[in-house]
Amino acid sequence: MTPQLVIPYTGADWAAIVPTFVVGVAALAVLIADLVLPRPLRPTAALELGIAGLAGAGVLALQGWHHPFAAFGGGFVNGGFAIAFEEIVVTGGIFSLLMAQTLGRDDQAGGGVALVLWSATGAMLMAGAANLLTIFLGLELLSLALYCLCGLGSRPGARESALKYLILSSTATALMLYGMALLFGATGSVSLSAFAGPHASSALFDIGCGMFLIGICFKLSLVPFHVWTPDVYEGAPLPVTAFMSVVTKAGTLAVLARFAYAALPPAGAQSILAPVWILAAISMIAGNVAALAQSDIKRLLAYSGIAQVGYIVAALAGTSAQGLRYAIFYLGAYTFMNLGAFAVVALLSRERDEGSHLSSFAGLGYRQPILAGAMTFFLLSLAGLPPTAGFTGKILILASAVNAGYAWLAGLLILGTAISAYAYFKIVRTMYARTTGAEIQRRFVPASFVPWVGVAVCAVATLVLGLYPIAPSDVLPLVK
Amino acid sequence: MIAALVLGPILAGFVAFALPRSAEVQARFFGAVVSFLAFAVAAISYGAPDEAHVWLQRPFTASFHVALNGPGFWLVLLLTLSTGCALMAARVPRPRDFVAQMLLLLGAMTGLFVARDLLLFALFWDLMLIPVFLTLIAWSAAKTSTTAWRYLIYNLAGGLALLLATAAYGIAQGSTDVIGVPAATLAPMSPVWALWIFAGFGFAFLIKTPVWPLHTWMPDTYADLPAPMAAVVGAVQSKAGLYGFIVIGVALLPAPMHLATPLMFALGLISLVYGALSALVQDDAKRVVAYSSLSHLGLIVLGIFSFDPIALGGAVVYMIAHGLFSAGLFLTLGEVESREDTRSISRLGGLGARNPRLAGGLTIVSLAALGLPGLCGFAGEILILTGVYRAGYVWQTIVALVPIVLAAAYLLRVFQGIMQGPEVADVPQREDMTPLEIAALAPLVVAIVLLGVDPGPVAAARAASSLTAAAAHVALK
Repeated sequence: MTPQLVIPYTGADWAAIVPTFVVGVAALAVLIADLVLPRPLRPTAALELGIAGLAGAGVLALQGWHHPFAAFGGGFVNGGFAIAFEEIVVTGGIFSLLMAQTLGRDDQAGGGVALVLWSATGAMLMAGAANLLTIFLGLELLSLALYCLCGLGSRPGARESALKYLILSSTATALMLYGMALLFGATGSVSLSAFAGPHASSALFDIGCGMFLIGICFKLSLVPFHVWTPDVYEGAPLPVTAFMSVVTKAGTLAVLARFAYAALPPAGAQSILAPVWILAAISMIAGNVAALAQSDIKRLLAYSGIAQVGYIVAALAGTSAQGLRYAIFYLGAYTFMNLGAFAVVALLSRERDEGSHLSSFAGLGYRQPILAGAMTFFLLSLAGLPPTAGFTGKILILASAVNAGYAWLAGLLILGTAISAYAYFKIVRTMYARTTGAEIQRRFVPASFVPWVGVAVCAVATLVLGLYPIAPSDVLPLVK
Repeated sequence: MIAALVLGPILAGFVAFALPRSAEVQARFFGAVVSFLAFAVAAISYGAPDEAHVWLQRPFTASFHVALNGPGFWLVLLLTLSTGCALMAARVPRPRDFVAQMLLLLGAMTGLFVARDLLLFALFWDLMLIPVFLTLIAWSAAKTSTTAWRYLIYNLAGGLALLLATAAYGIAQGSTDVIGVPAATLAPMSPVWALWIFAGFGFAFLIKTPVWPLHTWMPDTYADLPAPMAAVVGAVQSKAGLYGFIVIGVALLPAPMHLATPLMFALGLISLVYGALSALVQDDAKRVVAYSSLSHLGLIVLGIFSFDPIALGGAVVYMIAHGLFSAGLFLTLGEVESREDTRSISRLGGLGARNPRLAGGLTIVSLAALGLPGLCGFAGEILILTGVYRAGYVWQTIVALVPIVLAAAYLLRVFQGIMQGPEVADVPQREDMTPLEIAALAPLVVAIVLLGVDPGPVAAARAASSLTAAAAHVALK
């Protein structure tokens, strides 16, 4: 009898990862196009293929909404939860590519776009990952592509950014991997659904959870694991920074949420997760305080992002079902308002100058009123002021935190928001003040007009999500 | 129709940005027409059917619910009238952008006074900060933006406390669509929750009014804003907190309101006296008006927290009255400033001889402000003092009388310093009020007289819910 090669997976298993697969294959298509097309067409073709791949994946992913399904023996769970995060990743990827004119040198366009797509593939895997192996696979795919992306281009800080990210992130990954090993040792399984058993109270399990969560907190850049964020954000090319600011957060939050809601035994979950809520609280304050002093928009948005992740994690506090929905809503809102702000910066970019310094905004309210108005709108949303998605998102998080008995988190969230107002309105002031003293660049000649699309779509989405908040309803169950 | 009162000015504000920069007169005309149109629409829409659309269903229900009745109706009339008057004769640089900011402010503040949902109220509460902040930044003559920051940080701190309180209220009650709902139909709330929620609302209201010791943003803001916006902010935005105390505090959170009465009386009395004494020594005429505001609004706080129906009616009357005469004061002082390039009382003098019409205008609004019987200020003051006395606060009433005397002193000091005495040689003597400026002041003067003669309709305008809550309390005593 000859041994037969048995593939124990059915077509349904593969169907669950079709969107992820499409994005990964789109990256290959980009590389092939880069080989065969004439040189002048290559950057445009790469962007168009990349955006088409992501958009296609987004549409395909929606098909699975009403058919939750645990594929690959529970390794990848498709359903509302995974799809919501996948859509956020896809949206983040598309808007980052829209501003990709400044991704790197011309001959790097194809590779750059392919790396963005592979990184997105990793994040989409993380969105559905329900066992430690898939989580690690997604995380590494996400991170490895990002290490290279950070070093693209010839900006002085790019190498530093890439190396810093590589070294610190690898350390965190190692810690996380060790945590995973301990979890496997404690439970005898890599599947998250097996963690809720009786063995879960052992010290081995607790230490494993702790190390795993430290790795997560590092990727989320919660204080005190945030020190890499501002430098890496500043050094990386603008589209990569925009991509990281949303997609890394989305993938990692999906893992954190699934771990917190579905893997941990209900009895011990709150005590294991308590440090995460505390770190979220510290991040809300420390991130915003640090943002006050920044004069580079990318650094400012890096610190503000640290605080914003704090808000999102605060929504998960108490692991209530509605908290999860509001966390996803706020993440979606953050995607639009944050990428909108990045798109404005992209429009201000010049050759050898990313337009990210505060001074490039001086007098913008008089030179480019519409652009300045859009930027003001995004900053209002980031600051949680009406009539924006940020305002509605914040009220939902506040309500959920108060409802879950975490009123102190809600109070700190308010305090952090009050501090953040100064950081955001500093940009508004620079745009509208008559007496900034900074040199005003008179001419407005954007490197590309494509980011206008991003600005417009993000502005509309920020307004509409504020007035008609739609939080995904059936995001549970997460594991089976 | 009511929603159009909110959205119309906001849309018009964006339309104004589309006008050419050079169309200065047209922009002012456009702004004034929109404001007076809003006034007319508001006046005929009293008691129009409520308009509501669902906003949130979970974790609590909230809706875009607007209605035009009660004190909010009179405040909308005051707001649209003062905005229109302020825009008609506005003399500011870059009038097109300024008109746009004023219209955005008009829309946001109208929204606040017609909102019948706490979350919607919170939305407009934060929204109305933004045009003022942008104006402080872009029109302030100062080199630094300290005033703008102070305005923003103070008011945003209040706004965020209000937001948290709104979320907590929504969780506790299940719905925020409660402004104007009779208190008896609401589920009882645990006293601890009610107290914390009231603390959040009260903090925001006290900052916005403002009340000592949270007032430090206010004199600078009023002094730095261009006169037309100072008129609207000083006249109407300062009423937002007091309006909140009436429609949210008295009506929805009566128990913690009563608990806070001693504190509020103390803060109100200190504001009354401190504001009046500070107004006596200011050299900047706009700052005199700013501190007089602190003093007058302290009196309204007393009126509200006495829970006496007469005082509550008086509080509404005085809110409108104060809006009318402080808008008039800011506008006339703005006209003085635009002629003489200074507001310093010690630098000015003797303008009355060559500007009799301007002197006449300033006289009328000053007399209204110092409480001359027959004009609107007196009507409000006498109702509040009667009510506070009737509620049993005897010595507080006596203390509250003193600053009313001081008001005569500091307002006449402003008038004498600017209009009377020998002409000062080194300030330019420009032309008297133009017909347009007279036309801008006239509606305010007419309203000042009308309200002074017959404050009845305004006094009766308290929301039915607040009336019943207050009456129930009086009955308990």
